[in-house]
Amino acid sequence: MIETFKQIQSTLERTPHLLRLGRLFSETVLIEVGSDEYYLTFEAGRIVSVDQGPSRKTPWCFALRTDAKALEKFWQARPEPGFHDIFGLVKIGRGRIDGDILSLVKNLRFFKEVLGLARAQKEVVA
Amino acid sequence: MSIEPITGRYVTVTIGGTARRIYFEEAGQGRPVLCLHTAGADTRQWRHLMNDAEITASNRLIAFDMPWHGKSLPPEGFETQEYLLTTEAYIETVLAVIDALGLERPVLAGCSMGGRIALQLAALHPERFSGFIAIEASDFQPAWYDIDWFHRPDAHGGEMGAALVSANISPYAPEPERWNTLWMFMQSGPGVFRGDLSFYTRDDSLIARLPGIDTGRTPVHIIVGAYDLTCTPEDAARTARAIPGATLAVMDELGHFPMSEHPEGFRPFFVDALARMPQVRAEVA
Repeated sequence: MIETFKQIQSTLERTPHLLRLGRLFSETVLIEVGSDEYYLTFEAGRIVSVDQGPSRKTPWCFALRTDAKALEKFWQARPEPGFHDIFGLVKIGRGRIDGDILSLVKNLRFFKEVLGLARAQKEVVA
Repeated sequence: MSIEPITGRYVTVTIGGTARRIYFEEAGQGRPVLCLHTAGADTRQWRHLMNDAEITASNRLIAFDMPWHGKSLPPEGFETQEYLLTTEAYIETVLAVIDALGLERPVLAGCSMGGRIALQLAALHPERFSGFIAIEASDFQPAWYDIDWFHRPDAHGGEMGAALVSANISPYAPEPERWNTLWMFMQSGPGVFRGDLSFYTRDDSLIARLPGIDTGRTPVHIIVGAYDLTCTPEDAARTARAIPGATLAVMDELGHFPMSEHPEGFRPFFVDALARMPQVRAEVA
């Protein structure tokens, strides 16, 4: 799982429109996958560190709590209904969002697209 | 180069005692079909169906921007008003436009909050319509978000609204149409999406009215997308069960804005819905 988040980190570096959208976002986000914790620290739209928990000393702004199977479905090219969006995960009971939700909402497009960077590409229709 | 067959004009109607300049578009001829957009958007959501020559060969599609939306101006004095749509004002607006355009018992096709008001009109004013196509429509949904997020001085409500409603768009939607759909939300005026959501998420008066809808007089067909988190297939099915004689179609690969986000996927469902509606001759009143 940490490899996937590091892949997101490096892909973000090559995605100029997201760096522009996230230029005011400098926060730490907790992604909880089952009992595992991952802390993504953003600075001006870049992910400067991906750290695996557990940690009781790392402050975070908001948290997305889900499970590995749900994230696997989320990252498919065309997820089934509910797994296609973080709020979908919440709606179907496979995710929870805690903390400063307003900070998430203010940066919602940025955060959803960053998390979606690990999504499989859709096939190209000839 | 091609010039589209859609024409746009303005009409002034009186709503709540004040004059409103309403923008409307139309295309086609024959049976009138009045189309209502969703919250936080405008008439452009219907652009694909209005450009569909087979559909407009026998259907006159008309869509208008609600006051405060698209190219319809807000009322005079809006700068000191808090926009909060109500069922009563919405009904008055739809009926005023029908009167102003001289539409004789049109089919009413509405999506999301437009679908909600279509069902309200099916219950309260069925004599003014020939049938109802209620898209992404249900009896009631409380908000699963804080509607006040979308109107605040320290953030762009349109960008936040677009990012939120993108949760309701199917991953099968072509990317250009996904973003065209979201652009309307990004353009929405300050506080308008919030004011629409106030109506949509707080007024549950439709629930008690559903059993009284007479589908023998005016058919009701509900269409819902599987990727709609706001009005889920379960919500739509519950609503259809409460209306004696209502029919339901579930679209497996579509979301909350089907006519705009995925026109090819939606087309057969809309054609089927039109076929379920009576053929009332369009005559000038």
